[in-house]
Amino acid sequence: MSHAWRPSTGRARLAIANHPWRGWGLSVLVVMVLLLLFEVGHGWLASRSQSPLFRVIVAGESLTLDAGTHADFSRDLSALSTEAEERLQARMRPWLDERLERAFAPLEAAVPDYLDWYFSPVGSYTRLGVALMGDLDAWLDGQLHQRLVEATGLESALAELQADYPRRLASEQQGLADDMAETLQERYAPRQVSSGRESERPIHELDLDGELQKALQDGRDTARWSTAAVGGSGTALLAGRALARRLGASAAAQGSRLALRGLVTRLGTGTLRSLAAGGAASAATAPAGPGALVMGTVTAAVTLAGIAGSEVVLLKVQEALHRPAMESQMRDAIGQTRQRMQASLEASASAGAATLTGQLEAQTPRAEDDKAKPRTYRILGRPGE
Amino acid sequence: MAGRRRRLATLWRHAHLALTVLVLLVWSLSGRDLAGVLFLPIWVLATQLIVAGSLEAARLRRRAWLDQYLRDDSPWHGWLRGGAMMVVRHQLLGALLALVLLVKLRLLAPPLWPVVLAGVPGLVVAQDLLRRRLARHVITEHLPAVTRRLVVVPTAGLLALILVVATLWLPQPWLVGLGWEEAILRHFPGDTGGAVLGFFERLVAIAEISQHWTMQNAEERFGLAMPLAMLGWSLLLLTQSTFAWAYVRLLVGAEALRRGGRRHQHEALHVHHEEGPK
Repeated sequence: MSHAWRPSTGRARLAIANHPWRGWGLSVLVVMVLLLLFEVGHGWLASRSQSPLFRVIVAGESLTLDAGTHADFSRDLSALSTEAEERLQARMRPWLDERLERAFAPLEAAVPDYLDWYFSPVGSYTRLGVALMGDLDAWLDGQLHQRLVEATGLESALAELQADYPRRLASEQQGLADDMAETLQERYAPRQVSSGRESERPIHELDLDGELQKALQDGRDTARWSTAAVGGSGTALLAGRALARRLGASAAAQGSRLALRGLVTRLGTGTLRSLAAGGAASAATAPAGPGALVMGTVTAAVTLAGIAGSEVVLLKVQEALHRPAMESQMRDAIGQTRQRMQASLEASASAGAATLTGQLEAQTPRAEDDKAKPRTYRILGRPGE
Repeated sequence: MAGRRRRLATLWRHAHLALTVLVLLVWSLSGRDLAGVLFLPIWVLATQLIVAGSLEAARLRRRAWLDQYLRDDSPWHGWLRGGAMMVVRHQLLGALLALVLLVKLRLLAPPLWPVVLAGVPGLVVAQDLLRRRLARHVITEHLPAVTRRLVVVPTAGLLALILVVATLWLPQPWLVGLGWEEAILRHFPGDTGGAVLGFFERLVAIAEISQHWTMQNAEERFGLAMPLAMLGWSLLLLTQSTFAWAYVRLLVGAEALRRGGRRHQHEALHVHHEEGPK
């Protein structure tokens, strides 16, 4: 501040000229001294305050850790529990693959038999008959279910799998938890606080073994629930039904089309037309009237009888044309069903693992009933008033 | 054109207040690390501003006392005018006051900042009003200093009152039914720094949480009637709003520091005048 005023006396000028900077310097000094005092006091308080010890019971052994080591421990624990899901899946996968393989292998093996039946004269004519009667798709569904699903025992195998899965999952989870506890114990047993200091300080105790057991129990429940949710109580039965429908969706839709196309190849276009014209539904609306109906039916019957001789040859041709595609489609459908089954079972394992992770991570701050309570408090202007 | 220039001149006249408040605002809202680094300079600045104002007021009081009781020719005038002891005492008190102010500003709820910022024009207006009132009664050379001294209490009171009223409508964390330790654990500010600033922030935060916890639980548990509850809340919030006093003193100090030249000029003239007869 360089004000140009008239210097009155030397002393006054000195005081004026020095004053602002002297004040600033003094402020700096005072603040520094205070800061230093506070720093020292803070440090002293921090050193005097009872930095707590933590006792962790893990893998049946009780470890006493200081605050820093305990923080490391918590970090490791949370890292381990976040990768719990992955590791659980990795443990479960070989077993699940093997069981699914065992359940689905007979089914895949049964596909050629089914196709043999499908392209046999008996199957062909039955189909043709059913097609003439009406609901071919539903009937084919039934046939698929009966010949593939029931014959191979898929339903009972899946039911067994569903019953075994939670048990297996529980044991794998137990193994995983034991692994985690052992890893932690191995890592932190050498980093314990020397035993002499234990008595003088307050100790926070964490029974990790107990927490793990509790978390496992909850995870098991979740897994059970979500396994049940895969398909209600009778998963295997439903899975069998769904599979039949799924096979039907490809093969049966194909089947009805094939049946028609088979008619075309067998009867020839003209015959087909006369057969269609001979069908009761179209005949009723036919412009030619009742006379044409009689004629049409007669024509159809005659044609059917006439072509019986060449039937077997035509069936072979049809089989050669369509069997490979049908077979691969059916195998695809089986594979997809199997994958879906696997995915839903693994999802239930993930749900279990997620519960485990959540339990372990949420063990320090307990926020059970947070949602039930309002988050904020207002003195005035509450929404309800 | 002239009006614009006059407006600019008015702005320039109060630029130091705006600058001070801006610095405080930016520092208060800055991140933890930056605030920690800048803590020392900001603390020095705030201390200096508060001390400038309070020293001026203290000198004024002292001179009035001396003039009233001492003979004109007593050498005690020189000794008692206020020297190192007074300066050091005010520096210490100012530093502590500045610390309280800074920590409170760090923890201030964002909706309250407009109120705090509005304190600046409020102070300017109050000062103008007061100066006009006092002009007829106070000796001209002491008018600015006397105005600055008298404007502190009403402005700080008004600001604190507005802060209290605003806080009545602000949402607080829900602490009813929680244990005291749980309440503190749950609402403990986690992102404060490690050093002294963080320590004081935690301290003040814990104090505030405890107060709110007490009052909320008392109100809910004993079913306090509205007037009684309001009285309790007002008292509690008033204690929390006392930083408004430090804030106004800081602004007044900035004013005193900027207009200090004139004061010193007056002082110099005064000294010259006093020494003249000798």
